[in-house]
Amino acid sequence: MTKKYPLYIGILFIVALLQEFGFSHLTLFDVSPDIITIFIAVISVTVGQKSGTSLGFMAGLLSGILSGNMGLNMLARTVEGFIAGFFNIPAGSHATATQKTKRIYLAIVTAGFCANSVLAAGYNPLAISPVYRIFVLGVIESVLTLILAVIVTRLFLRQSLAD
Amino acid sequence: MQKFSTLFFKYNTYLLFVVYCGISFLFIKFQDDDLLTKLHNNGMEASAFITDKMMSFSYVLNLKEENDRLMRINTELISKVLNTEAAAFDERTRQKILADTTLKASKFFMARVVNRKFSDRENMLLINAGSSDGIKKDMTVLTPEGLVGRVSTVSEHFAKVMPVINSDFKVSVVSGKSNSMGLLSWNGGNESIAQIEHIPISSNLKLNEQVLTSDFSTFASRGIPVGKVVRIQPDKLFYTVEVKLAVDFSSLTHVLIAPLKIETEKIEMIRENTSGETFP
Repeated sequence: MTKKYPLYIGILFIVALLQEFGFSHLTLFDVSPDIITIFIAVISVTVGQKSGTSLGFMAGLLSGILSGNMGLNMLARTVEGFIAGFFNIPAGSHATATQKTKRIYLAIVTAGFCANSVLAAGYNPLAISPVYRIFVLGVIESVLTLILAVIVTRLFLRQSLAD
Repeated sequence: MQKFSTLFFKYNTYLLFVVYCGISFLFIKFQDDDLLTKLHNNGMEASAFITDKMMSFSYVLNLKEENDRLMRINTELISKVLNTEAAAFDERTRQKILADTTLKASKFFMARVVNRKFSDRENMLLINAGSSDGIKKDMTVLTPEGLVGRVSTVSEHFAKVMPVINSDFKVSVVSGKSNSMGLLSWNGGNESIAQIEHIPISSNLKLNEQVLTSDFSTFASRGIPVGKVVRIQPDKLFYTVEVKLAVDFSSLTHVLIAPLKIETEKIEMIRENTSGETFP
């Protein structure tokens, strides 16, 4: 794991840029899919909760630097990585690719929802009702992220999940 | 101690989580701190720089579309400029015609030549004035330079003009000095040269003499300039005379239409002696 950390950080950097300059512009009801959540969840599920939490922390730092609200972003992403870690598939597991994929999807939805709730509670620039923000916009964001996750897993993770 | 270290390694993920959360809360608490503000500002600058580069890239990608859009705008602007220039030219011409003191232009209708059929045998002008403007068949069409023709067909908003340089056109003319009378017509060919027939050999017609419409004409008022004599060729009984027309038909843009000359009685008198000819 330690050897792969620089690789994960490198990918995280690219993913953060993709999110900031690409996916954040694909909005529906002012909500956009979150590819960082997908990356953190995938790492947490496939590698481990600790790695996911650490990467979440770093992702928060990175997105905080790029978009502002550093502390809150760090907290939300850390929570995200930590929550996704509960869906971790231990090394040597006999889970099928479908089971792994389902677990990743579940991790993405749960972790994303929790992170969104943290952000909604901590920062509300448009003065939207927190309940509406968490349960309506949060759900829409989770759905959009899930759709993106389906595309990403089918395009890039099919082979590695089958191993 | 061993128990503590076992617990530490067992729950290190939770501990890590708590540490990270603690750091995050510190960042939240000190988010207005100079260092964090500076870090954030640098991040924003980097973000803006990347956005700018991406915008430039997308700008290059959309250059074709942008070019097409600019071409469309350019075309619209050119069209507006042309329209404005045309309107200015029309106004200048109108002012020039109205300023001409030899014609009482206020009595005339003014029109613009909107189309012309041009061939070596047929020349028809289309003007943008019709029956709704008071234009009637056989009205005289002229410019301050001279006679253009006569109205041959009238619709509601347009009228066809049979110009002097139409082979069916005929008009009674008289020379300015010698008062030699004849019938002017155009036999095709050069559009600035017309011919006068029926000028007897005995007349004193000279070169460069001005030719005007005569009182014999059933449609044109007396004294409208038609042209100048440029060639006189004697025949057995009559001269064959060539006249350089006063009006340059190649650059005709605006015309005046004279009120109709009502000489019904005269036409009926002539009709008794002729058989269905066009009256000059």
